[in-house]
Amino acid sequence: MTPPEERIVRIEVNGRPTSALVEPRTLLCDYIRNHVGLTGTNVGCEHGVCGACTVRIDGDIARSCITFAAQVDGGKVETVESIAPSTDELHPIQRAFEAEHGLQCGFCTPGFLITTQALLERNPDPSETEIREFLSGNICRCTGYVGIVNAVKRAARDLRDRGT
Amino acid sequence: MKPTPFEYHRAETTEEAVRLLVECGEEAKVLAGGQSLVPTMNLRLAQPSALIDIAGIGGLAGIAREGGSLRVGATTRQSAVLADPEIAVDAPMVAEALRWVGHEANRNRGTFGGSAAHADPAAEIPAVLVALGADLEITGPRGFRTVPAADFFVSFFTTSIEPDELLTAVRLPSRHGPWAFEEIARRHGDFALVGVAAALVVDEQGIVGACDLVLMGVDDVPWSAQAAQEVVVGNRVTPELAREARAVIESTVEPSSDVHASSCYRSHAAGVLVERALLKATGRKEQG
Amino acid sequence: MTESGGFPYPGGGRFVGARVKRAEDPRLLTGEARYAADIQLPGMLAVAFVRATEAHARIESIDVTEALSLPGAVAVLTAADLDVAPVPLPFEFDGLAAPPQPALARNKVRFLGEPVAVVVAENRYQAEDIADRVRVRYDRLGVVVSPEAARAADAPLLFEDLGTNVLFERTESAGDVEGAFAEAAHVFRKTFHTNRFVACPMEGRGVVAHYEPRADHLKVWSSTQTPFLLRTTLAAVLPYPEHRLQVIVPEVGGGFGAKMSTYPEEVAVAAASLKLGRPLSWIEDRRENLLAANHAKEQQITLELALDTEGQILALRAEHVGDAGAYNFNSTSCLIEPFIGARNLPGVLRLRNYEWTVVSVATNRSPVGAFRAVGSTPGSTTRDAFLDEIARQLGIDVVKFFRKNMIRADEMPYHQATGQVYDSGDYIGSLDQAVELVDYAGFRRRQEEARSEGRYLGIGFSPFVEATGWGSEIAKSQGLPFSSHDNASVSVDPSGMVTVATSMASQGQGHETSFAQVAADVLGVDVATVRVTQGDTDVSPYGMGTFASRSAIIGGGSVLLAAEEVRKKVLAIAAKTLEASAEDLEIADGRVAVKGAPQRGLSYPEVAAIAHWDLGVRSDDDGHRLAATRFYDPPATFSNGCFVALVEVDPELGTVKLEKIVGVEDCGRVINPMIVEGQSHGAVAQAVGGALLEHMVYDENGGLITSTFMDYLLPTALDVPPIEIAHMETLAPHTAGGFKGMGEGGLMSAPGAIVCAVVDALSPFGAVLEELPLGPEQVARMAGSLATEGGHS
Repeated sequence: MTPPEERIVRIEVNGRPTSALVEPRTLLCDYIRNHVGLTGTNVGCEHGVCGACTVRIDGDIARSCITFAAQVDGGKVETVESIAPSTDELHPIQRAFEAEHGLQCGFCTPGFLITTQALLERNPDPSETEIREFLSGNICRCTGYVGIVNAVKRAARDLRDRGT
Repeated sequence: MKPTPFEYHRAETTEEAVRLLVECGEEAKVLAGGQSLVPTMNLRLAQPSALIDIAGIGGLAGIAREGGSLRVGATTRQSAVLADPEIAVDAPMVAEALRWVGHEANRNRGTFGGSAAHADPAAEIPAVLVALGADLEITGPRGFRTVPAADFFVSFFTTSIEPDELLTAVRLPSRHGPWAFEEIARRHGDFALVGVAAALVVDEQGIVGACDLVLMGVDDVPWSAQAAQEVVVGNRVTPELAREARAVIESTVEPSSDVHASSCYRSHAAGVLVERALLKATGRKEQG
Repeated sequence: MTESGGFPYPGGGRFVGARVKRAEDPRLLTGEARYAADIQLPGMLAVAFVRATEAHARIESIDVTEALSLPGAVAVLTAADLDVAPVPLPFEFDGLAAPPQPALARNKVRFLGEPVAVVVAENRYQAEDIADRVRVRYDRLGVVVSPEAARAADAPLLFEDLGTNVLFERTESAGDVEGAFAEAAHVFRKTFHTNRFVACPMEGRGVVAHYEPRADHLKVWSSTQTPFLLRTTLAAVLPYPEHRLQVIVPEVGGGFGAKMSTYPEEVAVAAASLKLGRPLSWIEDRRENLLAANHAKEQQITLELALDTEGQILALRAEHVGDAGAYNFNSTSCLIEPFIGARNLPGVLRLRNYEWTVVSVATNRSPVGAFRAVGSTPGSTTRDAFLDEIARQLGIDVVKFFRKNMIRADEMPYHQATGQVYDSGDYIGSLDQAVELVDYAGFRRRQEEARSEGRYLGIGFSPFVEATGWGSEIAKSQGLPFSSHDNASVSVDPSGMVTVATSMASQGQGHETSFAQVAADVLGVDVATVRVTQGDTDVSPYGMGTFASRSAIIGGGSVLLAAEEVRKKVLAIAAKTLEASAEDLEIADGRVAVKGAPQRGLSYPEVAAIAHWDLGVRSDDDGHRLAATRFYDPPATFSNGCFVALVEVDPELGTVKLEKIVGVEDCGRVINPMIVEGQSHGAVAQAVGGALLEHMVYDENGGLITSTFMDYLLPTALDVPPIEIAHMETLAPHTAGGFKGMGEGGLMSAPGAIVCAVVDALSPFGAVLEELPLGPEQVARMAGSLATEGGHS
């Protein structure tokens, strides 16, 4: 088995240019974690069901475990590390998850935060049903989703208040 | 759960993609959104020697009006189709069915053509294409051809696309008649246990002139319920007629069993969904 | 009924009882937290396991030649290369054959997915390529995939030496069961088979092992609930000197019991690092997790109930048959499902006459082990469904039936037939509060109206009592006599800041917050000045770890006791400095002062500086180091509560829509209501999964069909309904701080509530529970919408 040629992949991650020589089979999650060194993106199932590894690719949420880094060559990716405005400040979505106990073990949390961010950008005032439907591609085994749904509602409120 | 090694080619044009398909041979696979392919590769159930990424081919994505139909480029993301205002008007069943396809994160990457070419008999898009009478455009080394959806799906995960050919677009005819899309899945976003795409033509008097009832999850291809369609055509849809169609479905469909539901349940649920779909479709017409 | 007093310490409940934000959250919300998969060490190699592709077979040969020629290959190690002892049971258990799983299969494999060889490679991709090319030749043996098959006379044996697949069989009884049945007005009997479902934390298992030969130091990071037990076990089986072995628990992405036992993979990775002298990382993938992390919850339970003419329970017989899977872990894992299930089955019922039989049988399936509400999920679910069915047959409202047969508050402490002594609680009060919260009478009216419109609503109740805080006493009363205790250290550093070190390990329960709240109030300081460290055997004192709802009681209790000691020292130093008697001092808001003269006082930093640097004080008494370590092995205590499920069912399609789930929980003094509610919510979500979605299905060859998340279905935000939790607070009379444990009641009780609600919704169709989980097919069948199995309707 001769390994296929490695290729240089260039991806802008959280606004910063990155590149690495990788095997074509390198999954985007592994590129982000191992080559860029951002380990906030957690990998829960590696077959695209649990949503823990959700990132934004060119602005849209996607599963980084079923996307090859090569597919995103030349594109932009945002991970959980991009959400907080600074090291001593949390984003309103993060603060809402903290206040509403929207996390326990934290493993699925990055995926939920990224997904919530995308939801609230599109729909600043989602109903409970809209929230649950939008988040239904992310699995949490700890919270029963109670704190998460409340956190999304609170974040929506806080972001609307801030916007006016 | 990591995939086996493969060569990766990014095609810039349709011609290049076809050339690469010829060069790389039968072990190569086309990669569009990868939402079905990559999980099976991570599980090492699929071990292609090469992937030909068509997502970057200019002109292969986008929705355009062509005469009486909408031409959806093969690599148009499912989320783009779902949000398209013309689709909402001219092919509302497509938009409704897409809401059942995976989740937002999948639809952002998954392509419309990819779902058709993957040909999962429990998937939504293939059934809708057959119900609406869509045409599929295919390009290969022997030129361009168009295949009606009814002939496109051959078997489980098998279509009439040859290994060296590429699906380039789907043409959706404008249909403004009554329709309904009904599905039951274990969870929202899962593949259907059973589902039905129903598209009708009904005259001023409420008489059904044409009826396409296409079921998913009951056969190795999207299954056109011929006998039940015949029951409906020429009649007015009443609760009694819908019930009759249900009985015909239950006695003609022969689904298989799996871990989520038995053949018996699928037959039963197919009947229930067809009954509900007929009533919903005609109810919607009356409301509209 | 609420006995909650102020927290009798200097903080007075400023933090204990408050919704304090979690100290853990900022790092978890930003991606800064480091789980096992995030650990990178220079020169680290990746591990993948070659796993059995047969459920029962002799290993004829293992050929690694081709595998070792692949890019990235470093080593392929089999049982012949890694000579480690299987992990034994840490205590004797009469009558139990507990066959341990070897680190790597030797001669024979007994379930599909069992580790056969360790592959070490430059990265995980290559490690999987190499694992695929290790050629194992198997000689197939007969496969048994159910206890019934395994108990057959001619069944193939997993362990030939034992001469049987039955690992345990025992009948115990209390009272006069036979006499009670003889005089009963009604006798009911039914057999239930509960579904096999699993903890499935979002993070799988993960182990990083780093052996440094010159330093003679073996460091093991593991996503475990029990770091000290892992250290002791590794030391024994590798073998390796325990004092040179350090176990560190990184951030852990959920456990729920499944990370409690010491697993063969943990031993194999540590042994491989010892052999190779390289840092190794094994990060379990999801397929491995579903195949080989412990399974749970499946039992066959036969119940027989004797009643008098008034519907009063006279006696109960129960037979619990557990499918142990192929091996036993070091937690009596092969036994705990049926054993704990049978012992806790009576629960809240006033029961004098009880006979229970426990059988555990080895099969060629993944080993069974702990998962939240061990054993009790199947026990409670079947008991609830059984009582519900009986109440319907007798025409008694199920709430009335429960009230008639439940233990009353004035009977506390109550000696249950099984030997457990329930310490406190108002069980009927919990039920009554739940009845009120859901407006039971109003629901019944709503249900009637809906039925007239062809809609089917249902309600189900499940009152529970939960053995918590597994110290040695409760372990003994559960029939599992093992020593169970923990330690905590509390120290004040020279700057006056507080460090708590505990032998517990958190998998998301927020120990860093809860334990800091306890220490802060006992010491009278701000919670922000307290830092909790855990999960590093070099830093914390010895203890059992986190499982069986023991952290709040034993962890919280040991922190409380150690902090009390430290507070005494703080007072002694302040008394000497202030020239006052310690009794005349009080502590508040981080300051020690003379009562009535607040200006005569010292801050914690001042006291700490004096304690550490003032030679006068130190030469007087060298005991003034501001630190204490306290051991705690608490007396038994039981939490209680009641869950109620409200559902709507489509009887034709068999779909169940959960409207909401309401719970009343009494876990004694609540340290952090936000965290307590979160635990209940999570347990309820797992109950939804177990009741409606989750089921491990095998084929007849022992192949696991549900080995991905496409087939093993976890509930999403659309499957779990809104959940409301109300607290009662009956302080535990005997534990430090009045704490009781919690977190398991939701998975013990809510599945039964959901099942009974579905049956209630379908009562016009004469529905009874036949099969779990309640997928659409099972529900449609219960409603009579489907013909007999296999045929067309």
